[in-house]
Formats: sequence, structure tokens, C-alpha cells
Amino acid sequence: MALNQVPDHVPPEMVGDFSLFTSPGMLPTPDGDPQAATACVHAGPPIFYSPFNTRDGRGTWVITRATDQRRVLQDADTFSSHRSIFASALGENWPMIPLELDPPAHGVFRSLLNPLLSPKRVTALEPAVRERAIALIDSIAASGTSCDVMKDFALPFAVSIFLRLLGLPDHRLHTFVGWANDLLHGDDVKRPAAARTILAFIDELAAMRREEPVDDFMTFILQAQVEGRRLTDEEVRGIGVLVFVAGLDTVAAAIGFDLAFLARHPEEQELLRSEPNRIVLAAEELLRAYPTVQIIRVARKDIDFEGAPIRKGDYVSCATMIANRDPAEFECPETIDLMREDNRHAAFGYGPHRCLGSHLARREIVIGLEEWLARLPAFRIKEGTAPIAYGGHVFGIENLIVDWS
Amino acid sequence: MHIVVHKTKCQGHARCWAQAPNIFKLDDEGYVLPGDINVAQEDELLASRAVRSCPESALEIDRTSAARFEPADMQPSAGEA
Ligand code: SF4
Repeated sequence: MALNQVPDHVPPEMVGDFSLFTSPGMLPTPDGDPQAATACVHAGPPIFYSPFNTRDGRGTWVITRATDQRRVLQDADTFSSHRSIFASALGENWPMIPLELDPPAHGVFRSLLNPLLSPKRVTALEPAVRERAIALIDSIAASGTSCDVMKDFALPFAVSIFLRLLGLPDHRLHTFVGWANDLLHGDDVKRPAAARTILAFIDELAAMRREEPVDDFMTFILQAQVEGRRLTDEEVRGIGVLVFVAGLDTVAAAIGFDLAFLARHPEEQELLRSEPNRIVLAAEELLRAYPTVQIIRVARKDIDFEGAPIRKGDYVSCATMIANRDPAEFECPETIDLMREDNRHAAFGYGPHRCLGSHLARREIVIGLEEWLARLPAFRIKEGTAPIAYGGHVFGIENLIVDWS
Repeated sequence: MHIVVHKTKCQGHARCWAQAPNIFKLDDEGYVLPGDINVAQEDELLASRAVRSCPESALEIDRTSAARFEPADMQPSAGEA
């Protein structure tokens, strides 16, 4: 299909002009608020067709209500998760596992991996996570009265936790962040190059661990059994790539958005600093306000959905930021209320593919905020600077210079 | 209070457990254990908060009279008969 062409079966009156890539507020914007910019869709219909809504310029149906998103994401029989999003950058077709597998195969791998990232397991990882946060923040505090939250804290924090999980050394951190940046935000040349580099790295890691097993994630995958057999090379690859890609960027972005909010709201900052036991609840509200991913499914069959003729092969978008600002689901969705209790937000998705790393991500965010507020005095956005935020496939924030002089 | 657990809807968000770890137990993979739950009166507020925070609507407070008069609840000490 030609780029941005609206398929014939889409009625012209169902085409909407909102896109997470091209609408106002989605390109990198100083002091931008891309999540808030998505809320305009709630004035419109529950579903519309957006011609420019993927990285490669394809159109998607956009689901604007939280309850309809739940319906789509819970119904894997109708809406497939297999898009080969990583492999397609290389002109190949294989799934990242378990994200791009559909039930029942999905469940087999999910059961294998769930215990590695279960709430119980995350509790055990917590001291290491806290230690890492403290080390980074203490060195920030010692080196001056200003820093770039993204470069100096959020990225090294999130990435090093995940490197430790994978059993990889910290000194390659900057290399990995560079790869992830190129993959997630690079152009048509950088993306496939980064994908190839990451793939080679995962394959090499697997080969090393096969040769010499250690107590780490990759070794576990290589020794694991599903349905009474070892995993194939492609399955090992599919898991390795997903864990690599998913762990690098999202938590850092969340922490960036959260600290940007607190830098702009000194009263809220003070509230959490003086009553740190409120941070757990506040973190849920910040997850609601600043989620970072658009979830896309592929229709497996023709279906009429709220009056829209979805045809087999159509892309269906469940943008978490849109669900999280749905006035039918959340009272005063535009108000960021750190004490909000009813908060069934969609930051980690719904349905069987619910983010596998959600428990770890959540604890990283809470611990990051706890230690930041405990160790640094009142901070604000540094005068003369403006953090650049952007929409797209994964929402993010490029830089966040804060100051506590 | 009686809580119906729709086990097949649970996707392991663990929001219920985070709110009330003594009421909602998780299995090794992090999904809620099957079986409906009777909640003591003093825990009702906490439990209903947890129910409202489940993103999948997998938990439901059963307000039918049948639930209130389940055999287990009809001990003399319940004071409700
Ligand atoms: S909050 Fe809901 S989905 Fe999550 S573990 Fe509890 S019952 Fe399951």
C-alpha cells in the first residue's frame, strides 16, 4: 500500500487528522506536553482512521476510549500482536518474544519469563536498584547545583539496572544507550544499522553463554525448556532483542517526565519530599499522566467496531496516553492529582500482553523519585533552558536541565 | 464483603496485591490466586480500593444478598441472621 493512502474500505468521514507522529505537539518541542496534546481526540468519535500513525508512515484505526482499548487488547483472537516491528527494520519477519506472539504460544513463553520479573522477584532486586539510584544522585549532588536529569540520572539508572538483570557489565552503558537511541529515534539509515548491531550483540551473547553458562538471564533462556524442548535460536533471539529494546528507553523516559512535572510544581515536590509515603500512589498518577507507548494490533479478521469497518490486516492503535486521558474513565483527566485513588491507568497496557517488566519499572520509578527527593533540595527547570519533549512511537524527553542553586 | 475473582481476566498487574497484600495473594508468576475472597469488615475499605484499581476489571465486589448470606458467613457470631 502506498504511504499514507487511506484504504478504500475506510469511509472518508471516519478519517481523522490526529496522529501521534505528525500532529501539533508531537515533533520535538521545547517545553512540549505531547501526552496532553493527545487529549483532543476525546471530543471526537470512539474510533477514527489516522493516515499517518506509525513510524513507517502507515495509517491506523485509533481507539479513543479506555474501555474500547481494553476490549481490543483483551481480544487476541481478533487483534494480533505480531508485527515483526524489529525484524522488519531488517527486511525480515520474526517475532519479538513474548510481545509479538499471540495466544496460545504467547502464554507458553510468558509463563517461562513471568517469574523472572514477578512482584516477588522485583522485591528481591530492590536493594540493588536503590543502591544504584543513591550512587548516581550522590555524585550529582557532589558535583554542583545543576544537572541534566536524562543524561546524568534517568538513562544511566534505568539502563544499568537492566544491564545487571541481563548480567552485562556497566561499562558498556553508553554504547547501549547509543544503540537504543538510534533504533528508537534514528533515521532510515541509523535504524537498520542499530538493529543489525543489536542483533549481532544478542547472538554473540547467546553464543558466549552457551559456551560458558553463568547465572544470568541469557543463560536461563538458553537452558530453559518450553513444551519439553529447548528454545530455538530464533526464539532466543526474539526474547533477547525484546528485553534489550524494552529495557533501555521507557523507564528513563517516565522518570524524565515525572521529574519535569515536579520541577514545574514546587508545591507537589514539597509534599512528596515531606511525606515520602505518598510517592507510591503519586507514581501511579504520574504513570497515568505520562505514559510513553502506543500499542498497535493487527486485525486478524474483518470486524465492525463501534461503527468502523475494520478489515483483516488493518492496524489498530491503542495509545496509552489517549486511554489515560479519557474523561469516561478518569474524573478530570487533565488534572494531575498526585492523591488520585481510582486509577486503572493503561500505562502498561491491558490484556495478556500486559507489560512483562511493569513491576520492575514501577519500582524503579518509585525508588528513583524517593531517593531524588530525599537527597536533593527543591529543584526547578534551569533558567534559560526548556526540556524538549516529543511524541511518536515511544514518547520521550530529550533533555531536562534542572537547578537547585 | 465478598469479592469475586475473575481469574481468566487477571493479567498480573498486581495492583490489587500492592494495595492489600494480605487480602490478594499472587502465584509465582504474579497473577492473582483463583477463588473468591471473603473480606473482614475492617479490611473492606482497603479491599474495595484494590478492586477499583484493577486495570482489567478482574475483581468484582459481590453485593447480592446471596453473597452476604453464604454459609461461611452464617456463623452465630456474624450477628446478621
Ligand atoms: S489487579 Fe487485577 S489483573 Fe492485576 S493481579 Fe490483581 S486481579 Fe489480576
